[in-house]
Amino acid sequence: MIHYLLRRLALGLVTLLLITFLVYALIRAIPGTPLTAAVAQTDPSRRLNPADLERMNAAYGLDKPWYQAYFLWLSNVARGDLGRSISRKAPVTQLIGERIGPTLALSGSSLLLAWALAIPLGLYTAARSGKPDERAVNLVLYMLYSVPTFVAALALQITFSIWSEGKLWELPLFGMTSGEAHETTIAWLADVGWHSILPLACMTYGGLAWDARFINTNLQEVLRQDYIRTARAKGAGSFRVLGHHAFRNTLIPVVTLLGLSLPALLGGSVIIEQIFTWPGMGRLFFESLRERDYPTVMGLTLVFSLLTLAGQLLADILYALVDPRVSLE
Amino acid sequence: MPARPRFVREHALVVVGLLAVCLGGCGGKPTQPQLKPEPVLGQPGLETPPLAVEPGPHGTAGGTSEEPPVAPPEAAFTPPPLEALDHDAKWIDRPVRDALKDLATELAAEPMLASAAEALALKNNSPVNNAKILSALGRLPTEGEADFGARVNRHLAVDLSSTNPIMQSSAAESDVLGLTNFGLFSFDRHLEPFAAAETVEKWQTSVDAMLDKVILRDDLVWSDGTPITAHDVAFSFKVIMDDRVPVPAVRSGTDQLRCVHAYDDRTVVFFHKAPLATNVWNINFPVIPKHVYDDTWEADPTLKDSPQHVELEAKPIAGGPYEIVKRIRGQEILLRARDDWHTVDGKKVRDVPFFKEIRFRIIEDPNTGLLALKKGEIDEMALTPEQWKTQTTSDDYYARNTKATATEWVSFHFAWNTKSPYFSDRRVRRAMGHAFDHERMLETTCHGLYSPGTGIFHPTAWMATKKPIEPYRQDLDRAEALLDEAGWVDHDNDGIRDREIDGRSLPFEFTVLCSQQPMALEICTLLQQSLERIGVRVNVRPTEFTVLQQKQLDKDFDAAFGGWSAGSDPDTSSNIWATGEGRNFGSYSNPEIDKLFAEGRTELDRSRRAEKYARIQEILWEDQPYTWLYWRNSFYGFSKDLRGYVFSPRGPYHYGPGFGSLWKPTP
Amino acid sequence: MITRKDPTAVARDKPPRGFWGEAWGRFRRMPLAMAALLFVCFLAVVALFAPAIAGTKPVVCRYKGSIYVPCLAYFNRDWEPVVFATDKFRGEYPQNLRDKDPESWAIWPLVFQDPYRAVRADEWPGLPANPTHENGRPNSRNLFGTNQEGIDVFAKMVHGTLVALLVGFVSMGIAATIGITLGAIAGYFGGVVDMAISRVTEVVMCIPTLILILALLAIVEKPTIWKMMAVLGFTGWTGISRLMRAEFLRLRSAEFVTAARALGAGPGRIIFRHVLPNALAPVVVPITFGIAAAILTESGLSFLGFGQPPPSASWGSLLNNARSNLQMWWLVFFPGTAIFLTVLAFNLIGEGLQKATDPRLREARK
Repeated sequence: MIHYLLRRLALGLVTLLLITFLVYALIRAIPGTPLTAAVAQTDPSRRLNPADLERMNAAYGLDKPWYQAYFLWLSNVARGDLGRSISRKAPVTQLIGERIGPTLALSGSSLLLAWALAIPLGLYTAARSGKPDERAVNLVLYMLYSVPTFVAALALQITFSIWSEGKLWELPLFGMTSGEAHETTIAWLADVGWHSILPLACMTYGGLAWDARFINTNLQEVLRQDYIRTARAKGAGSFRVLGHHAFRNTLIPVVTLLGLSLPALLGGSVIIEQIFTWPGMGRLFFESLRERDYPTVMGLTLVFSLLTLAGQLLADILYALVDPRVSLE
Repeated sequence: MPARPRFVREHALVVVGLLAVCLGGCGGKPTQPQLKPEPVLGQPGLETPPLAVEPGPHGTAGGTSEEPPVAPPEAAFTPPPLEALDHDAKWIDRPVRDALKDLATELAAEPMLASAAEALALKNNSPVNNAKILSALGRLPTEGEADFGARVNRHLAVDLSSTNPIMQSSAAESDVLGLTNFGLFSFDRHLEPFAAAETVEKWQTSVDAMLDKVILRDDLVWSDGTPITAHDVAFSFKVIMDDRVPVPAVRSGTDQLRCVHAYDDRTVVFFHKAPLATNVWNINFPVIPKHVYDDTWEADPTLKDSPQHVELEAKPIAGGPYEIVKRIRGQEILLRARDDWHTVDGKKVRDVPFFKEIRFRIIEDPNTGLLALKKGEIDEMALTPEQWKTQTTSDDYYARNTKATATEWVSFHFAWNTKSPYFSDRRVRRAMGHAFDHERMLETTCHGLYSPGTGIFHPTAWMATKKPIEPYRQDLDRAEALLDEAGWVDHDNDGIRDREIDGRSLPFEFTVLCSQQPMALEICTLLQQSLERIGVRVNVRPTEFTVLQQKQLDKDFDAAFGGWSAGSDPDTSSNIWATGEGRNFGSYSNPEIDKLFAEGRTELDRSRRAEKYARIQEILWEDQPYTWLYWRNSFYGFSKDLRGYVFSPRGPYHYGPGFGSLWKPTP
Repeated sequence: MITRKDPTAVARDKPPRGFWGEAWGRFRRMPLAMAALLFVCFLAVVALFAPAIAGTKPVVCRYKGSIYVPCLAYFNRDWEPVVFATDKFRGEYPQNLRDKDPESWAIWPLVFQDPYRAVRADEWPGLPANPTHENGRPNSRNLFGTNQEGIDVFAKMVHGTLVALLVGFVSMGIAATIGITLGAIAGYFGGVVDMAISRVTEVVMCIPTLILILALLAIVEKPTIWKMMAVLGFTGWTGISRLMRAEFLRLRSAEFVTAARALGAGPGRIIFRHVLPNALAPVVVPITFGIAAAILTESGLSFLGFGQPPPSASWGSLLNNARSNLQMWWLVFFPGTAIFLTVLAFNLIGEGLQKATDPRLREARK
């Protein structure tokens, strides 16, 4: 196991290097630099003379060829310095640090909530497969899935914030906190929690159909296996069959999914973050890409990649734990 | 597709879907309210990406010749002693005004079309009602009427990228920093420049227009207690002009100054390079505290890297009536009125600002913003035309809010590249204007809210031509005749017009670049459909903003859709129209216009200046290097608690006093 | 001599249908799955015949002695018959046909509306101009209403069907092919192969798609939705690959695999013939949902300007129209319902396929 882990870590490092290299090459290849906007804003009566441009490029580290700049970035990262954001004039670690918490809070709860709902739903639909109530549940789930996020968000905002004004269940329209000072951390957490209800609902409803169907599909396959027939023949009740025998055998795909969900924890949803003014990483990534803010984009890519690799490693280890037939090399 | 639906829908949408950052940028408005606004790259609709929009204060044409000056290395300039200056200069006094008092006087003279109570009960669904609302509610308070302890929640569509005044680049920054900055100059509702009586005691210009002398008041204090002196002004100029400091936006204009010298704590003299009518705009630049930055700026000229600078970003020192007391990045910025602005040594030296606290709440999504306005969580917001027309008309909107509109000097156009084989002929450009379905655009895309384009100056501007300008209407026959005349005929019978150029047959098929916003796309699609009917093929290419800028700077386009917001001084348009100028993306060249611009710069008499610019407008209208489409209005929703909003050609906030004229009545 | 028929010959009257033939046979007998398949075929028909269902150009007409098919212009601008440009039709057919050639006749589409522009007043005699903005409620002339610009929603939905179907198939097709193949190979062979493929998978997973799209836009002259979808396909296979790999890891030591190997089957045959049918369950959902979700993705892309350049009609663009004014509910309802039906259909097909291909459900031949 230790050997395996060490090997994976070494491989992971190499992969990470490759990824950051490729991403940096790509973003430098995309037309436009952080200065394009600044140049456009220069006094147009002044033909921007090349010396000026060079000076500005040097100030932002853009005069070096991109691979040199990449190695510079890499060496800084090795020392723990992710650089300074060009467009936001703040350290990248600070920017990411400000947003990690809120993003995790939302995505993490959404993930938990989605699985908490999807597993029972999946089991239920698998058990009642083909019956009218299962069809009805699936129909409702598909309808939920088809609702675009912005429609759902607006509908929720109007229902729970505008129409419910003054009532007990009035929810905040936007933002992460109410901006007022809080005496205790508990009070602050409660405030954030209250603000996160609507965004959370928006994040979760769409995935329910997918998750439930996923579990359902895998369960169906398992339910057709011989050993299930054996268990039934031996007189096991359907819940025991489902819960004890069948579900455990769907764990491999579930573990894969978990591994794939890990990076999403920090990915956030750009639309939801923007509608609810939730300070998330999704928005940060999008904006910094648009602004060609290379340090921030690289910093975020690094964080996402780390998480992705960790997720896959975790999944691989869990396979071995969950299914005795799978062994770690 | 990656596994989960959150990936599938949102991941692809995570990477792809974002509205308002593209949209919600600064409302297409120019920068600092107190400073000089200039031609700006506006985008249709409110929404503009933050970086894109407004080049900061700038844009006066440089130098006395038409040639853009490649700045020669300046010989070190020693400012002569003050007595020598005073002896030789023959100073003329220039206006030092209290913008708020002047506005109050001006408004008091206007007739009141309705009482406040009546106006509050009205729905703004006609120009008559709009005038009543503005007239009744856009007033300044009488004695005791205003609540000085009031708080107001303002809307910001995009967060600030920097709190450093000389790093300003977007309208969001001008909205916030305009309230915290120290400034000497401003311009009023009629775009007349003046020195602010709050900060300036005396302002004089030499007869030969080469010098400006300003005597600061002696009761100015930074928010950390240090007095504000003329040395801060001179220091700011030095920093801005230093090549190591990457602030090109703010530098434009200031690079027309030879030197700024502080003779003592209160006296500063600006030395100009040439005697131009536009000099007055160059002396208007942001001021940073010398005692704070003097030690740190040279070590870190980017002003954002060193730990001290990072700390300053978080807690900037303010020189204006407000200071930033709290900032939650991406969420809100809280400003509080400074006591030491209006009260120094126990004495009241300046007017107390109308609000105790101003809270900027960042809401990127326009739908959420409107809901917040309806709910009363913000007190004012710029509305999109669609929201104005359809979503702010019902009783539930008017329960808490009202709204107002006024025309803005922001116009949108198709820019033709006159160097391309298609658009070098004036007849073809005119044909484009005749082919486009203007009526449909004005009525449908613009909701009937905008007025048709009339060229580079708004009809109400002082420098606009007095001759009537006939806006273009769709006339396909005329368009086809012009195209036939210019030689674009379908020779090879394939449905597309073509022309022989350099021995080869070139079909009339071109690409029009536009931003990714829905309104821009709609208008360009309309162009495509209009031209399709007469055998010209158009490819519409929505382009990412940065790339759009780059392509225009590189002159790598056939046609582009864009907008400009008018500068306070007409000379700023020379950036766009004079031969070889930096914003002359379409490579338009007309020696007569170049000559007129040069004359206008040096002509100090206003009416004679106006004639020259009027002639420029007429020539450009005939030549049609742009097809001017419409003048945009600004639309704002205001809480019924607010009073005192007054519109200028640059919107309600970007002039002097700007937001300073808003107040809330005592309950 | 009494000839006796070979007893096994009777049983062998019907030639063996093979795996897929049998699967199809089973699929055919599932009513819901067949209904869903028919729905998808219906969508395909609508996509193919869109210009004949809704349009402002005649399906076929006779003008000045010759027969023309102007409606094909909806598929490609170059296919518009030149004579109509030369004769200054300016895109308006009904009146011009009659005026310029009294002996002309034309067969018109079922609904006289255009997916790319609003119909002007009296273009078709008696038809008023399309209403715009909030007046565009569904009415007798505009069955699904019109959007803010006055463009008919029904026409847009009909012409957008092709895009909707194809974006799903293109992106998921690419993603599924690559994902299943790579995942299967990685899971089956293990060792170095697995290591290499897994690293490639991780690299592709970590490179943000938006960056690739921007890079693509920079390189390509005329970016179209297909290229975007291809990019999404080439980056979206990673989840499927991981799921496949996990299944193969689990199954490669199963008895039937050993048996097949003992019988001399090569790895390719084992992977695709024996193991794959057993391993498809986990990827059914990503693929079926993915096809439908591609439509929503296209909406997001076109919202950002990365979609089809105008003129374009797609279900997603209707959703984008709705964003600025949700009071125009018909802009959400109709595309939303279409998406819902597509999700439903593909999921039913997926369910059906799963049951049909499950070897355990194969009826024993008696």
